[in-house]
Order: sequence, then structure tokens, then C-alpha cells
Amino acid sequence: MSEEIYNELAQTVVVGEPEQAEKLAQQCLEQGLDPLDCINSGLTKGIRRVGELFASGEYFLPDLIIGAEAMKTALGVLEPALTEGGQGREVLGHAVLGTVEGDLHDIGKTLVGTMLTANGFDVTDIGTDVSAADFVQAAQEANANLIGASALLTTTMSEQQKIIETFKEAGLRDQVKIMIGGAPVTKSWAEKVGADGFAKDAISAVALAKRLVGAP
Amino acid sequence: MPNLEPIRPSFHLEVLSSSQLEAIRTATLDVLKTIGICFPSERALAVFAEHGADVDFQNQIVKLPSDLVTQAMEQAPRSYTLGARHEDADLFLDGEASYLATDGCGVETLDFDTRERRPSRKDDVAKMARVADFLTSVSFYWPMVSAQDYGRTAPLHELDASFNSTLKHVQTETVMGRKPAEYAVRMGEVLADSREAMRERPPFSVLICTIAPLAQDKEGIEAGMVYAEAGIPVGFMAMPNMGSTAPATPGGALVIGNAEVVSAMVLMQLVAPGAPVFHSILASVMDPHTAEYIVSIPQKYLCNAAAVQLAHDWGVPTLAGAFGMDAKEPGTYKQGRDNAYTSLLVPLAGADLITGSGLLEASTLLVPEQIILDDEVYHTNRVLLEGIDTAAKSLALDVIFDVGPKGHFLAQDHTRRHLRDIWIPELTHPRPAGVGPSDGGMHQRAQAKLTRILADHQPEALPGAAREELQAILVAAAEELA
Repeated sequence: MSEEIYNELAQTVVVGEPEQAEKLAQQCLEQGLDPLDCINSGLTKGIRRVGELFASGEYFLPDLIIGAEAMKTALGVLEPALTEGGQGREVLGHAVLGTVEGDLHDIGKTLVGTMLTANGFDVTDIGTDVSAADFVQAAQEANANLIGASALLTTTMSEQQKIIETFKEAGLRDQVKIMIGGAPVTKSWAEKVGADGFAKDAISAVALAKRLVGAP
Repeated sequence: MPNLEPIRPSFHLEVLSSSQLEAIRTATLDVLKTIGICFPSERALAVFAEHGADVDFQNQIVKLPSDLVTQAMEQAPRSYTLGARHEDADLFLDGEASYLATDGCGVETLDFDTRERRPSRKDDVAKMARVADFLTSVSFYWPMVSAQDYGRTAPLHELDASFNSTLKHVQTETVMGRKPAEYAVRMGEVLADSREAMRERPPFSVLICTIAPLAQDKEGIEAGMVYAEAGIPVGFMAMPNMGSTAPATPGGALVIGNAEVVSAMVLMQLVAPGAPVFHSILASVMDPHTAEYIVSIPQKYLCNAAAVQLAHDWGVPTLAGAFGMDAKEPGTYKQGRDNAYTSLLVPLAGADLITGSGLLEASTLLVPEQIILDDEVYHTNRVLLEGIDTAAKSLALDVIFDVGPKGHFLAQDHTRRHLRDIWIPELTHPRPAGVGPSDGGMHQRAQAKLTRILADHQPEALPGAAREELQAILVAAAEELA
């Protein structure tokens, strides 16, 4: 019985049906199922399948994003129940992602967030036009071990450096790995500003993130 | 004296029918009226409110009644002059000619000597301005790369390097923000001698990017108002990306782009009625797996050509996109194919201004000899679009009569004269005493030609006083903007 609903839950993620995912998650709780099992046997299975379909080329980015959206909606129902029960979801790391101050470009950062979510990270997306101080604050609140700062303009790239400096000033530089990205960002820029890594797109950002947190 | 050979097409292509144009216009006005555009600038919001637009100050959204849009756009001139340091290089935007610019604004240069990739710098801007000054394919100069050795004032240094190194018109797409724009205007005044003369023959113009979907950049829009008031021509370029920042359909991308560009041009007319403006849409498609821009794709080519019609439908000149594709190295099949498609379609559609030759990797990497390869593609199109002359002299009946069946035309005076009129591409068909090794490839010949231009071509220098004034402005800017 529970196996069936887990599969259905996984399927809402694979097909990308956020509303249905939310409804099923509620049903799970009403039936008294363990929220952690719902996540591990349902949602995680679904998002893995989405990841496989994307990797094989069958799925496009919108399929991936809407699938992740379905997972997020269901997690919104299941995670509070998990916390109440004193449990936690197993994740590869806690990432805080944002676009730097003065820069409104949203898409690259959002894609990285989706890809990280699909690959087992807990992601807090703090939006665009985010100051260095707000990056630090969000990192503390989320207990993050991974920071991603996106800049799409040659004029806002310098903010990435400022973020790294601000983490140093706050005495938190050793506690986080900082990766940077965005169209004008290059490997040499990442080295120059002292970032831990640079990724040119969302797919390589996943490999980089895994390497930085020491995940397999 | 700079030598320019604009494209003057004798025949045209219409991608959109008049009813299709009408449909896009109606949809655009609908977006402007009901959804609105984000203008994150207090000054812009105040101007719109003053002129009867529906302004949501909290969310910085402006909704424009259709009458306001059409009345403002009626004030925008269809024809005006882009001035050059030398009058003979002035560009008159009258719909008869297509003028090509270099591409910009890259961030890396394949070094002229070491051939290693490195961050771009001011000297690259100056060197390539000299090359652009020499090439007849280039009618106006976009600083090709960022002067990253000058920090926050890099954009003004790009202008300085350009003004000093070419007699042709310069168009910046990096000097943004109210203060930097004011410095750029002062630099323009130095070139033009006075603000009045600058209005007549503005020595530089500006291209400002909108933010898709349906938003403006604060720094861009505030700079735009400064330029419009000073009489500096201002263009707005929308870059809808089908699938990410725009619907995954060319029609939807055009509506989004059109709405962004028109809303900004309306603001310029409200701030400075009659201000010279231009329209530009450069569409692309999102790679469905990496989200990278795909710029070499038929939907993009179509949108580029359609955008020319949209601009003219609003009664303003256009800046269309060509070259600057996403190939990673010069002289490849891919590069040639993509550049040929884009650079032929937009003059065929009647583009007034075209950007731009010389960059690779989607306009981020300067490979110096690429501009020489693009030059040859450009001239192929220029000649092609001149069309076929069917005057009696060209039909050459008398010569055909003289030669008759089974003869040849080699010894005819008519042949001797007219063979000289035929432009022969020198990179693919090297002349005996041409540039570079005749047994090498066209890439080698392009490199050799570039080396020769850099060694030989030195445009007339700016007068010493003007150079000093520009320098003083840069120093003041560095102090204030630091």
C-alpha cells in the first residue's frame, strides 16, 4: 500500500506536477506514513529519475525545473513533519545561492540551484541583488557549507571578491566553500579573487559542488 | 581619410507580412498597457507619471497607455546623422545603407604576440580601433573589448582609446550610470568642439541593453536620459532568449523584446522630445540542456531580420545583429556558416546599423584576425546585394556580337574594363603579390593582413589639446567614480 503511494509521489516529480505532489504528500501524512520514508522512497527516487532522464538528453531544462518544483512543494509539506519528529533529511550539503549586489540576473543561479537540488543538496536561494553582508547572514542562518555567487556583468563581478572578503572579515571563510559563476567569470578571475572554484554552467557546477563538499 | 563601403542593397527581404507586423505591434501595445515594464529608476518613474502613465512606484512598474506610446514614438526621428571625426566618415541613417560595426564588448583577448588567452585591456581597444579604421567593411567602431586595466572607469577608457585611434564614429555599449554618462558626454564635446556641434554630428552614440523579460537596467536607463538630453543617439537592445527569458517561440520573443525596447525609447522621447533613438532586438535560443545561448540557429536569424521590420514599423532606425557567433576558433566551417547567414540576412532586411565583426565565443573573445575573415564575408554580401545591372552596357550585346559563337572574351576591351569591377575575395583567391603566404590557408593570410595593418596604418592623431582634455576628464572621472 505505502509502496504504491511512494511510487505515485515519485511519479509526480518525474512528470512534474507540483499540485499533485503537494496533495499526495498531505495524503501520506494523513495516512500516518513516516515523512522520511516518503522523501527517501518517493521524492528522492523521483528526482533521481529526473536527473537520469536529463543526463541522457531525454529531458530538457524546463522538465528538470518543473520536476524540482514538484519536489519542493511536497517537501514543504513533509519537512515540517520531519522536524517535529526530530528527524532530518540526508543531504550532501547545505548551499546558499544568490546573485551579487547590483545584478538582477536570475536564471543561471536558479538553474544551479535546481541542479544541486536534483543532486541531493539542500539549497537556499537568496535571490538577486544580494549584498555581501546578506550572503554571510544567510549562510549563518542556513548553517551553510557551500556558497554560490553569480554575476553576469563585468561591472558586478567585483562583488564576488567583496563577498569572499566579507566572509573572511566575519571569520567564517574556513567554514564555507565559495564557488562563483556567470557569463564574464573565468577560471583566472576565480583564482584571482580567491574563490574555491568556478563553473561555467549548471552541470559543471554540480560536479564542482560535490568536489568542494567532498561528496562522492 | 577613412574609407567606408557600406552595403546599399538593391533588393530586400521581408520576413513578416504587414498583417504579421500588425499582430506583433498590437501584442506589444497590449503588453505595455496591461503588464507593464519594470523601470528601477526614480527619475524614470517620475517622468512617466508626469506624462500620464500608470506608475506603480512601489514595484517600479510602468504601464503605458497606447496613445502615449504612439504619440511619443511619432516624435522619434527616422533619419539622422552619426558623426565621425572626419566628416567623410559620417553615417547618414536614411534607410538606404547598412553600416557595419565591430563587435563588443569582449572580456578576453587572444594575445597579439603570445597567442595566449588573457584578460582584455585598453591597448587592445586602441589596436583594434586602428584595424577598424583601416577596413572598409567597418563603418563605425564599437570598443571591442573591456579596458579591464582601468577598473571602474574602464568604459570611459574604452571611449578614449577609440577616439584616439579611429576617425570613424564610435558607439559605446558600456558607459552606463548617470555620472559616467555625464563624463562621456563631456568627452564627446571635446571631440565635437561644442555641445551644439555635438547635436549636429554626434561623434559617438550609445547602445543600452534592456533586461529580459520586461525590465530595464537602472544604470542603463539613467545613462540613457543623460545622453538623450545631450543629443547623443541612444539605442536599446533587447536580448530575449527563447526558453529562458522569453517564450520558446520567435513570435513571443519578438513581442517581449519589442515591448522592452519601445518602452525605453518612449522614455527618451518624454525626456527629450525628438531625441535620436534606435531599436534593436538580438534573440537567441536557450540550449535545452546547458542553458547556454545558442546564437547560430534559424530562429535567431529570422528574429534578427524581423526585428529590422519592427524598428521601421515604429519609424526609427535599427541596429541588427550579425557575426559574433558562438564558435570557439576562427576559420572553421561553423564560424563561416553562421557569419554568412547572419550577415547576409540583416542588410537584406534593410538594417541601418549592424553589429558586429571580430569576436568569437558569443562576443566574449577577441581573436584579432577574425575581423579580417569577417571583412571578406561582409564584402561578399555587399557585392551580392548590389544586385545585377541590366543596363545596355552591362548586357554587352555589342561585345557578344563581336565575339560571336565559339570565340572568347579575353581580348575584349569591355572585358578588360569590367573584370576590374568584379571584387575578388583575396583571402580565398590570393593575388600574386598579395598578403601572406599564397600557399598557406586563408587563416594565415588573415593573420598576415592584420599584422600589416597594425604595422602600417596610423590614423591621424587627435590634436594635442583634445588629447589632454580627454585625459583630464578621465582623471576627474577616476577620482569621482573610484
